[in-house]
Amino acid sequence: MTILLDPTSEQSPTLRPRLERPERLDGLTIGILDIAKARGDVFLKRLGERLGERGIAFKHYAKPTNTRPAPLPLQQQIATEVNLVIEGLSD
Amino acid sequence: MSVAPQDGLIAVVKRDCPTCELTAPVLGELAARTGLQVYTQDDPDFPETVPTRIDDTGLDMSHRLKIEVVPTLIRMAEGREIDRTYGWDRGEWERVAGIAGLGADLPESRPGCGAKNIEPGVIERLKIRFNETGLKSRRIAIGEDEDDQEAMYERGWSDGLPLVPPTEERVLKMLDGTARDPQEVIGLVPPILAPATVEKIAINAVMAGCKPEYLPAVLAAVEAVLDEKFAMHGVLATTMFVGPVVIVNGTIRRRIGMNAKGNALGQGNRANAAIGRALQLVIRNIGGGRPQEVDRATLGNPGKYTYCFAEDEEGSCWEPLSVERGLTPGQSAVTVFAGFGLQGVVDQKSREPESLCRSFAESLKVMFNVKSAPSADALIVICPEHERTFRNAGWSKARVYEELYKLCEIPGEDLVAGAKGIAEGGPASRAGTMVNKFRPGGLMIVRAGGGAGMFSGIIGGWSSSGPRGSTPITKEVRN
Amino acid sequence: MANLEARGIPTVGVATTEFIQGAEAQAKALGTDPALVFIPHPVQDRTDDELRALADEHFDAIIKLLLK
Repeated sequence: MTILLDPTSEQSPTLRPRLERPERLDGLTIGILDIAKARGDVFLKRLGERLGERGIAFKHYAKPTNTRPAPLPLQQQIATEVNLVIEGLSD
Repeated sequence: MSVAPQDGLIAVVKRDCPTCELTAPVLGELAARTGLQVYTQDDPDFPETVPTRIDDTGLDMSHRLKIEVVPTLIRMAEGREIDRTYGWDRGEWERVAGIAGLGADLPESRPGCGAKNIEPGVIERLKIRFNETGLKSRRIAIGEDEDDQEAMYERGWSDGLPLVPPTEERVLKMLDGTARDPQEVIGLVPPILAPATVEKIAINAVMAGCKPEYLPAVLAAVEAVLDEKFAMHGVLATTMFVGPVVIVNGTIRRRIGMNAKGNALGQGNRANAAIGRALQLVIRNIGGGRPQEVDRATLGNPGKYTYCFAEDEEGSCWEPLSVERGLTPGQSAVTVFAGFGLQGVVDQKSREPESLCRSFAESLKVMFNVKSAPSADALIVICPEHERTFRNAGWSKARVYEELYKLCEIPGEDLVAGAKGIAEGGPASRAGTMVNKFRPGGLMIVRAGGGAGMFSGIIGGWSSSGPRGSTPITKEVRN
Repeated sequence: MANLEARGIPTVGVATTEFIQGAEAQAKALGTDPALVFIPHPVQDRTDDELRALADEHFDAIIKLLLK
């Protein structure tokens, strides 16, 4: 295990902080990523419907298998097509 | 970790030491008569004269006993050291051992050798192991499966380029580069105004690729940008192009191998590259200044990775920049200037200083926009071939400044908004007046560059130059 | 999740309560602080209507973690 000394002023926790979120969803596109575990698709489809009702743009994506991280092309595609992501369902 | 003997004699030796070899018979005698315990730093089979040696190749006991020279002979009583001697000296050994007639065949005395536990590199590892580093920064554990480069990138420490992982060992070695206390606060770094201790700066200096001997220059540069008159917060937060440019003067340039000559403003020299980069990492990591956050630069400029070079002082007819700004010749110093980019000035024909000055002035006058005046400060990097022209004509630096200022006077009507078909510009009231492109004291000249090529450069400044904005700051480099 | 956040895409994960401990352990190992909404376990045996109801129930909580 490598120990490094913190070069910062240590005002944030050692955890990597979450990315900054936007103030509002207007004009943004939300990606909904099905991680391919059972029944997640129904749940996520409903989330998409609710977003649609509010006039928020969304796109559905699905991992080919839940046992591995999303393949690189899928990650890149999501990163270029949406601003935010909802991912589910893990158990 | 073994426990030090509570009572009796201890000796610490190494085979690779002629004096330790010399004392081998005495050690044998003391072991037989007094139960002397011998710790060996390198080869546990040494000395053969002592039946039971203790392996201290890990140097734990040597470190705890603070051994500096081998052989060292120590007398303990009730867990405390009451006497010690080092090297071989019959009188001393007899006193510490409390036995007369030691080493009859040996010379009176012989100096010892340096102990292994204080060799460079070793002492840092021991301090880390014993948690005696005195380092106060938070430790970040990188998981075994984590790549240390990715870990540093993901924590946001990088300027985009790879970093040297700041291990405790590297930081301890870096701190050897200065006599200053690691907890000394150099200043508060904007925008979050966090204290920049020598230790925190050293961590960033390690990441930047500095050698320990560069650290004093980095400390001076940080001190300089944190001077209130440099206005570091403004320089960082501006939408304009600038970042701190570091010019180094004095004996330190040669001592640490900086480049003042060919490609001085470009890549390839570790000291140039790492000192400038360390400063930027301090701003980013200690101060929290990052692009598209507090740093609002529209374009920025590549110098915000690193922009540091040494002045080519030798053979120049002019005083170095630091001397111009009040320091004594040879004194190591850094000057920081809020600047950006490099506007090339090509003049391969001027043989007279007046003509050469006009080349510079015409280039200076378009800085920012041909319609803007006063625009900003400028740092003029004059190459040796151009400086030679001034030298041959016997022009002092002061004379050059005088000429440039004169040539940078611009008729106000040329600067009025709308003039030359350009909407940019100043109020109509300027017509009929003369406006200088620069504020008094807004130009600085340094000499740098390779010996061949009549190509000088202008490093543009920040629109808020001078007392209401950023002024260049010079600081002495202290060890 | 860490992958998309590393690409600059703020992400919210939806998981069942069964995953709470796993999520904590993963976060600790990776040094991250993921935004998560937990729904009651199990989900495998829920009907479609029940799942849609769960989605409606937790919709606001999910959106909240996507915003400042």
